Amino acid sequence: MSGALHSAFAFRGSLSRRKRVAVALGSSFFILLVWQIASWVGLLDPIFLPSPLDILGTLYDMTARGEIIGNALISLGRIMAAFLLSAVMAIPIGMLMSSYRPISAALEPIIDFIRYLPIPALIPISIIWFGVGEETKIFLLWLGTFFQLVLLVVDDANRVPNEYVEVARTLGARPYEILRDIIWRSMLPGLINNLRITLGWCWTYLILAEIVAADNGLGYVIWTARRYMKTDEVMAGVFVIGIIGLVTDQAMRAGHTWLFRDQGTSR
Amino acid sequence: MNERLQDYLVFDQVTKRFGGLTVVEAPFNLVVPRGQFVVFLGPSGCGKTTLMRMVGGLDEATTGTIRLEGSPVGPPDERRGMVFQSYSSFPWLTVLQNIAFGMRYRRDLSPKAKASRARHYLDLVGLSDFGDAYPSRISGGMRQRVAIARTLAAGSDVLLMDEPFGALDAQRREQLQIELRRIQSEEMKTVLFVTHDVEEAIFLADRIIVFSSRPARIIDDIDVTAELGSDRNLELRDSEVFFRRRADILRTVRSTLTLV
Repeated sequence: MSGALHSAFAFRGSLSRRKRVAVALGSSFFILLVWQIASWVGLLDPIFLPSPLDILGTLYDMTARGEIIGNALISLGRIMAAFLLSAVMAIPIGMLMSSYRPISAALEPIIDFIRYLPIPALIPISIIWFGVGEETKIFLLWLGTFFQLVLLVVDDANRVPNEYVEVARTLGARPYEILRDIIWRSMLPGLINNLRITLGWCWTYLILAEIVAADNGLGYVIWTARRYMKTDEVMAGVFVIGIIGLVTDQAMRAGHTWLFRDQGTSR
Repeated sequence: MNERLQDYLVFDQVTKRFGGLTVVEAPFNLVVPRGQFVVFLGPSGCGKTTLMRMVGGLDEATTGTIRLEGSPVGPPDERRGMVFQSYSSFPWLTVLQNIAFGMRYRRDLSPKAKASRARHYLDLVGLSDFGDAYPSRISGGMRQRVAIARTLAAGSDVLLMDEPFGALDAQRREQLQIELRRIQSEEMKTVLFVTHDVEEAIFLADRIIVFSSRPARIIDDIDVTAELGSDRNLELRDSEVFFRRRADILRTVRSTLTLV
């Protein structure tokens, strides 16, 4: 046993897939268990923090009342729309910034300026511009992700080894062919990873947008429940977001591994 | 076509500066006949790679001209193929696709002709069984073969090789050197090969250009073929004449290093 523990904790060692899943599930279950016991023995006031089982029960009731799935789909739809918009803009712009110095010189100051603005500070102007409809939510999400993502894309494109580009040039490739056949293909694994990370940020801004100006979506559900001090409903909403995040992240990771299973890291 | 055999590739009064850094100071002159295997031998960072990159069109001479078959070299094209030390094959393509990539931008070949050419060069570099493998699944030596095959498939007449075997172990290196000599003489290619390994230089070269440290200057121009013949095999590596040559060159190289 101590030998197994020792080998599992080897510095920068490896862990089999089965063991990793077991440890991950085990640690989550352990936290829930401690939390549940603390509630049972009366350490936690249910007004401030209901027990996991209570939250689960509430989640079931809310789902039965039709408050969860529809709102979750609405939130997901907003995220996908804004995220696609960000990605579709950030990828070509980032690739061009990496390839042509004048373009990056022109855009970098603007991007850096907006990137450091706190999104909540832009909510008033966004409402003035777009009202309280879908446009405001998409705009805020786009604002929160595009300017971060575009710099990550630049970085991905910059990290394509110069050798690839030069080999293509000596084979007669023109600039747009190099972008399409070399830069894009070579940066793809890193890019998909960065898209996955950026997608997580979307949720931060979504809840913000739905709290300020919405009559549906998970953020609205949470915010409404808070008004009536229904902590269990607040927690149920939070829980749903966490699960959606966990599932999409794991799915994208698995997709990444499958997609690039042949590439490895070859020099 | 212009049949220039003797003055096939010409460096005419070439100098190179990068900003304040002088890479090639004294005007560099060199005439390379068609089909010659020329090794640029010199210490790291001496400017030999820069000279080779200028032939490929990847860098431009500050003054002077480089001529190929009588006309100044322009931007890169498939007549001059590069093989680098690392990142030489594309990891998202299979071995066969990597080789076929050499012809990707050629409009004069039909898809069928491209496919059969790719096959031909796959076989030529001894990778017939690895056509569908991805570069991450094969050895570093095989990846360099892929890069060589891709350059040949592209139809390059001049092979520009920047320490292509630098990252390989001794056995793979030796094997690839023999292969490269064979392919070069069969296909009648002109090769510029950059290395700082003296034995590799003697084993491969028809002619060795020994460089000083930066700024690059020719300190010796050795006709290896006159001394060792053009047939290179493993026995040669153990021969007395090989060792004598090696000692001579090492002495020359050391004498310049002490000047720094």
